[in-house]
Amino acid sequence: MVATAEPLEQAHPIETEDPHEHLMLDPRPRGEMNSMVMDGMQTTSWKFWVVAGFLGLIVLTCLLISWGYLIAEGLGVAGVNRPSYWGIFLVNTVYWIGISHAGTFVSALLRVMKAEFRRPFTRAAELMTTFGLIQAGISIFLHMGRVWLAYWLFPYPNVRTLWPNFHSPLGWDFLAINTYLMASTMYLFLPLIPDLAMARDRSKGWRKLFYRILSLGFRGTEGEWTHLRTAMTIFAWAIIPVMFSVHTIVAWDFAAATRPGWASTIFGPYFVIGALQSGIAAVGMVVVLVRARMKNMKYFIRPEHLDALGKLMLVVSMIWAYFFFNDYMVQWYGGDKFTQMLLEFHEKGPMGWMWFGMLICNVAIPFLTLWNKKIRRNPAMLFTIGLLINVGMWFERYIIIPVSLTINRMPFTWKLYFPRVEILLSIGTLAFFVLIYLIASRLIPLVPVWEVQEGQVAHGLRKVGKAEVKTVSEIE
Amino acid sequence: MSETKTFLALFADIDPAVEAIDSLREHGVSDDQMNVISGIPLTDRILGRPRVWSNVPRLALGGALAGLLLGTFLAAGITNLYPLKIGGQGLVNGAPTVVLIFEMTMLGLLASTFIGVFLDSTFPSYKPKEYIPEISDGKIAILYSIPEEKESEVGDMLNSLGVQSITSAEKHQL
Repeated sequence: MVATAEPLEQAHPIETEDPHEHLMLDPRPRGEMNSMVMDGMQTTSWKFWVVAGFLGLIVLTCLLISWGYLIAEGLGVAGVNRPSYWGIFLVNTVYWIGISHAGTFVSALLRVMKAEFRRPFTRAAELMTTFGLIQAGISIFLHMGRVWLAYWLFPYPNVRTLWPNFHSPLGWDFLAINTYLMASTMYLFLPLIPDLAMARDRSKGWRKLFYRILSLGFRGTEGEWTHLRTAMTIFAWAIIPVMFSVHTIVAWDFAAATRPGWASTIFGPYFVIGALQSGIAAVGMVVVLVRARMKNMKYFIRPEHLDALGKLMLVVSMIWAYFFFNDYMVQWYGGDKFTQMLLEFHEKGPMGWMWFGMLICNVAIPFLTLWNKKIRRNPAMLFTIGLLINVGMWFERYIIIPVSLTINRMPFTWKLYFPRVEILLSIGTLAFFVLIYLIASRLIPLVPVWEVQEGQVAHGLRKVGKAEVKTVSEIE
Repeated sequence: MSETKTFLALFADIDPAVEAIDSLREHGVSDDQMNVISGIPLTDRILGRPRVWSNVPRLALGGALAGLLLGTFLAAGITNLYPLKIGGQGLVNGAPTVVLIFEMTMLGLLASTFIGVFLDSTFPSYKPKEYIPEISDGKIAILYSIPEEKESEVGDMLNSLGVQSITSAEKHQL
C-alpha cells in the first residue's frame, strides 16, 4: 500500500520575526538612544550612594586596613606557610585574570566572528577586563609582603649586577599580565572615544570638561573613523592571542613545576577555558545587574542577549568539563603514588566538599539548566547560575593551588592551609572591583551607542519564501 | 578672484547625504574640498568617496618590529651581557625566548596601533573646530568649501535634496 501525504488543512501561518524581540530590528532615533544612555548614567538614586558607601567601607576595612596590618605585622599574620606558600593570594590572582578574559572574548572574538548580539554589552565586558586585571595585580602586591620592594621585579641591574632571569614562568607572567592590562585598557578606550564625544555634546559643568578632555577633540570625520576602525580591527585580531597567552602562562606557573597535580601538558588550554567559564558567567551577572539597576537599559539589553550569553555559558561549561576530565583521567591512569594520593585527597580529604561543589557548580548546574531557553532568558536564573559558576571556578583554583600544595613528595611537610587575613583581603578586592565598576557606570557610557546604531543600520527583514527573516548587511 | 566660503550641510539620512556628495561634485566641488562628519562610521564605499589612507597598519608593523627587537634583547641580550651559568644550562633557551619575544612583539604592535590613531587623527586636539552637536545625534554633516558666488546655487541644490540646514561653518570650542 502506498502511503499518501494528507494535505494540510491550512497553510503554515506566515512566520515573521518580532521586531521588538531584537534590538537590531527595533531602532530608535540616535538622539533618543543617546538621551537614554546619558540618563541612565546621570540618574543616581539614594540607594546607589548607600551601596557605594557600604562598598567603600568594606574596601577601607577589609582591603586597606587589613593590608596595612599585613604590612605592619608581616606575612606571618596570613595563613600561608610551608607547604602552601601561595594560598588565597594566588587563588584570587588566577581568578581575577580569568574574569578579565571575558571582556576580550566578548569584544574581540565575537567582533571578529561578527556575532551581532555582542553590540550592546561589549563595553560592560571590556570594563570587567581592565578592572579584573587591577584586582589580579593588587592580589600579587598583597602577597609580596614587603610591597615597597616590588621594583625588584623590573628588569634593572641591581647591586649585584645581576638582571632578573626571564627564564622563569613568573617573569613571563609579569610581562604577559602587563601586556594584557595595557592592551585591554587601550582596547577599552578606542571604541569609547565616539561615545565620550557624544557625552561631551550633551553635558555641562565638570562633566563637560571631563568628557571634552577624554574625547580628545573627536568629531567623527571620515579620517577619524577610518583610523579608529583600522585600529579596532588590528586590536580585535591581535588581542586574542594575547588573551590566550596570558592564562596559558599563568597555567605554566604551575605546570612547569614537577609537583603532583600540576605537571600537566593540558594545563594551558584548561586554564584558558576555565577563565572563559568564570568570565562569561560574570559578564552574564553584570549584564543582568546593569539591565535591572540602570535606567533605560531594558531597551538595550534584552532576553535575546541573556539567551546568547546563556548558550555561551553552556558551551564553555561543556568544554571545561572535557578538559577537566582529560586532566583527571591522565593523572589517575598514570599511577604515580603521590598523584594518586593527591587525587584521593581532593575527593575524600577535608576539602572534598569543595571538589564536589566545583563539579556541581561548573558542570551539573549549567548542564541541567542552560539547555532550557526559558531559563536562559530569565534574568534571575541566569544571574544565579552565573554566580554559582563563579563560586565553582573559585573552588577550582583553590583546589589547584592550596589544596594541591598540601600533598607533595615530602610527607613531613604535609599541612592543610587555613586562610586568615587573606579572607578579609579577598572580600576587600571583590568589593573594590564592584565599587570601581559602580563608579565607572556613572562616568562612562556603558552601552556603545554608535555600535548599536551601526548594527541597526545594517539589519533588516527579508522575505524568504513565506517567512520574513532577520538579515544583516556587511557595511563594516 | 572670488572668496571661498565653507559651509556645513546637515542631513538626517545617509541616502540624501550621498546624493548631495554627488551633486556637489557636479557643481565643481572636488573631493578634497569636502569632508563628511557622522555619528557612525560610514565607509568610503557607502559614501562614494575616495578611500582615506591610514598609517595605522604601518605604524603597527613598526611597533611590532620594535617589540620583537626589545623582546630579543630581554631574552637573549641580557643573559649574554650578564652571564650566569647554572648547571650546564644554555644562556639562551629556545622556548622562554619565544614567549618573551611573543609578548613584547604583541605589546609593541598594540601600543603602536593605539599611538597610530593619535598620530593619524592628530589627537588630542582641543582647538575650535567646525562641528555641531547634532552630528552625535545621528545626523550626517557635509563640510564643503565653494566660491562665494556659488553659494545660492549650491544651496538650492542641497535644499532640493532635503538638507535640514546649511550653516556657515564656524569653528567652535567642542
